[in-house]
Amino acid sequence: MISKFLAAMAVAAVLHITPTVVLVQRPDAVKALLPGAEAFFAREVHLSNTDAHRLHEAVDWSPEDGVLTFYTGKTADRVAGALVFVRVDTPHGPVEVAVGFTPAGAIGGVVVTKATVETKPWVLEALRAGLVDGYKGLKPGSTPAGAAALKDRIGALPAYMAGQLDKGVARALLAYGTFYRGAKT
Amino acid sequence: MVYDLQHADTRLRWLVTCLLGTFGVAYLFGAWMVGLYAGFTPRSVAATYRGPKMPMHMPPETTVVVEHAVTLGELAEPAHTVDRDLLVQDTHVHIPMYGVIAAALSAVVLGLALPSWAGFGLITLLFAAPWLDFAGMWLTKLVAPGFALVTLAGGWAMGLGYGIVTALAMWQMWTPKKGVAG
Repeated sequence: MISKFLAAMAVAAVLHITPTVVLVQRPDAVKALLPGAEAFFAREVHLSNTDAHRLHEAVDWSPEDGVLTFYTGKTADRVAGALVFVRVDTPHGPVEVAVGFTPAGAIGGVVVTKATVETKPWVLEALRAGLVDGYKGLKPGSTPAGAAALKDRIGALPAYMAGQLDKGVARALLAYGTFYRGAKT
Repeated sequence: MVYDLQHADTRLRWLVTCLLGTFGVAYLFGAWMVGLYAGFTPRSVAATYRGPKMPMHMPPETTVVVEHAVTLGELAEPAHTVDRDLLVQDTHVHIPMYGVIAAALSAVVLGLALPSWAGFGLITLLFAAPWLDFAGMWLTKLVAPGFALVTLAGGWAMGLGYGIVTALAMWQMWTPKKGVAG
């Protein structure tokens, strides 16, 4: 009886989500992903029910309040690139990635901006193993496979978090391909 | 009832003391975390759970794109808020934990020398507190910011319940009794 009670307490403790940790401040992520940009613009895409449903069906994601926000960086009149922040809710708490796109429409870089106290070491191990390098050059339509590429080199939990970050990048690719490059302002 | 903490084996009283001490540390850090992420005033709790704009989201008939200039400063981290999805997740993981804590404290209450009505009252308080806490969060999000008071009441009720149980348990377990050898 007591052992069952203690086991229940242990399970409950394991399920407790730890606080969010900012790994990289958003402005720093923007500067890193849109190098040289002097002016910044927020492009807010207010999704219709149909488009919101399409996005949810495709990548299991509903942006907060149904609004996708892309940030565009410009140097004089030249577009330096665009980026989007994507949150992925995991059983261990949310993680957030900033995915930057080059003017040619490929991923130029990915920065993990948020994790939790619990997931931070797993995320850092995946990053140290070169997770984000594998995302560079991906274009809308391609599938991120960072977790699969690293699975023999990192532990199970870092590999799990890499899979969650793959999910965030996949969401960014679809959102960018569908609602940034294909949208009219 | 045979289970009586006042006259229980020293090892059991030590176990209960350690349990309450551990919960106390957890509660202190819980209060610290609340201070960091939600605050202790109705206004700050409402802002956390209601969100800064509080509009009813109405999706447009067709997707609409709006572009405007921003500064890097505007991209800085906004104040911590809990949206609906995060609140679903928080509720899912916290309610079982709070239930286990309330059950553990209730088990301590059962071992105290208390009138029946006081035992019922304390056990009810221990379980009602987390319910008030989360009911307040959901009502603040879905109904009106004023329900932040319910969340605050739940939080304080949790602290009150723990405080009463700990004070009574420590008093009854460790104060010398007449005619009883330690």
